[in-house]
Amino acid sequence: MTRIAVDGERCVGSGACEALAPDVFEVTDDGVVAVLVPEPAEGDLPDVEAAVRTCPTRALALVSEQPAGAAG
Amino acid sequence: MSVDAAATQGTAPLPRRAGAEDLGIDLSDREFWVRPPAERHAVFDRLREVRPFAFFAEPEIPNMQSGPGYHAVTRYADLEAISCQPAVFCSGQGAVSIQDIPADLNDFYGSLISMDDPRHARIRRIVSKTFTPRMLERVIASVESIVDEVLVEARRAAEAGDGTIDVVADLAAPIPLRVICDMMGIPAEDRALVLAKSNVILSGGDPELVDVEDPLTDLLMAGIELAGLMERLAAERVTDPRDDLTTALVTTEVDGERLSHQEIASFFILLLVAGNETTRNAISQGLLALQEHPDQRARWVAEPELTRTAVEEIVRWTSPITWMRRTATRDGELNGYPFAAGDKFLLFYAAANRDPAVFAEPHRFDLARDPNPHVGFGSKGPHFCLGAHLARRELALTFRKVFEQLPDLEITGPPARLQSSFVNGLKRLPARLGGAA
Ligand code: HEM
Repeated sequence: MTRIAVDGERCVGSGACEALAPDVFEVTDDGVVAVLVPEPAEGDLPDVEAAVRTCPTRALALVSEQPAGAAG
Repeated sequence: MSVDAAATQGTAPLPRRAGAEDLGIDLSDREFWVRPPAERHAVFDRLREVRPFAFFAEPEIPNMQSGPGYHAVTRYADLEAISCQPAVFCSGQGAVSIQDIPADLNDFYGSLISMDDPRHARIRRIVSKTFTPRMLERVIASVESIVDEVLVEARRAAEAGDGTIDVVADLAAPIPLRVICDMMGIPAEDRALVLAKSNVILSGGDPELVDVEDPLTDLLMAGIELAGLMERLAAERVTDPRDDLTTALVTTEVDGERLSHQEIASFFILLLVAGNETTRNAISQGLLALQEHPDQRARWVAEPELTRTAVEEIVRWTSPITWMRRTATRDGELNGYPFAAGDKFLLFYAAANRDPAVFAEPHRFDLARDPNPHVGFGSKGPHFCLGAHLARRELALTFRKVFEQLPDLEITGPPARLQSSFVNGLKRLPARLGGAA
């Protein structure tokens, strides 16, 4: 399972991710990003990966998780 | 950072503060900045290859104390490494000028772009929502009608006269100006003032636009006038809110805090300046590049789906902002270069955007270039251009509509270049509509 992690301290809401994967990311009124789909579908992964790479503040990461129970 | 970096560079530490006199290069020579782009890029290439942290004395500005000098960063990897470490390489001592900002100008020009955390993040988050792709869907219709309006006026101006227009004054300047004024709710009658004052602010000391004996006074006056306009507008919106950016700024709270009036005024000035000249020069020099590369132009005209990559290539190619500055907050080493607290670095986006380590055939104008990780809107870091999404939309619409509505646009003369190291700008670009006049 792949999960999107956001570092809210780094994010300044540039919206680069929202431009690349609008179904997955949205900059909120607080000016930081909200992840609409924390565990993106296989088909969305290329766009999500591009978003992670492009993020100017490097606030996004993709984490592979063990099936439920193994990790928090 | 050095283990990895030194391994990839594979070299002994670079000597500190090596100049470039032996190469016959002086980036502080004002005349250098009006030379044709090809010549300037040849110089960037040379520096990138042999002196990637070349050190230059600061250009002299009347009534301003020159500092210790600056390093010119020309390699993509070095530029990115500096840009993504804002705690080590800060913006708060000045990002848009080589000299530190004098205290009396700070009120007007000390906005977002010259701030560090935590203030930067606080203010940036207040404004970021307004410029996201989703929010811009709402302004796109108005951008479209502004472009239509300007193109119609340009055609009319040509027909009323001898068939000629100035691409800068008649096309490239009015589009971003009207877009930003519209977003902020600035009345049409104040646009001319906004244009004139932002020209002064981004003149780079060009003698045609400011008094070369006393540029600081001109800058101060421009700041006072724009701040006055903004304060009036902000006060109006407090009592009479509307659906515009100004209203959002006077009413938004983050963590129970609102922007102060001074913060609003200086942010306005930043938006006017950052949103205008940049987009203007991408349009004017983009049109010039298309004229110089007729095959690329023909391809884009025939293939509208090329627009996404074409816009990115125009920003890479023109690099409307030549550099931003950072200042080291401590001693350290960067990719083999030892630096000291207080060292100034100019991040030459224009040079990084032609770095062969990143771009195949960097001196080829290729509208289909993909991927194109250019740094025209800034590199990695919290200051990445707030207006990038807006600018992309403005550019996409402008070029497509020029192809449709001004297919006969033909550039006829050499451009008049702005004498500025900071903005890669054109003052005038003569053109003709409708074939032979
Ligand atoms: C082609 C057009 C444009 C170019 C090439 C451009 C370029 C840049 C660059 C290089 C930076 C500095 C990035 C850094 O220091 O890391 C920047 C920052 C900024 N830009 Fe743009 N820009 C453009 C259009 C716009 C527009 C249309 C607006 C607003 C309406 C805008 C607003 C800003 C602001 C507010 C900042 C400061 C952000 C911060 O410090 O957090 N820009 N831009």
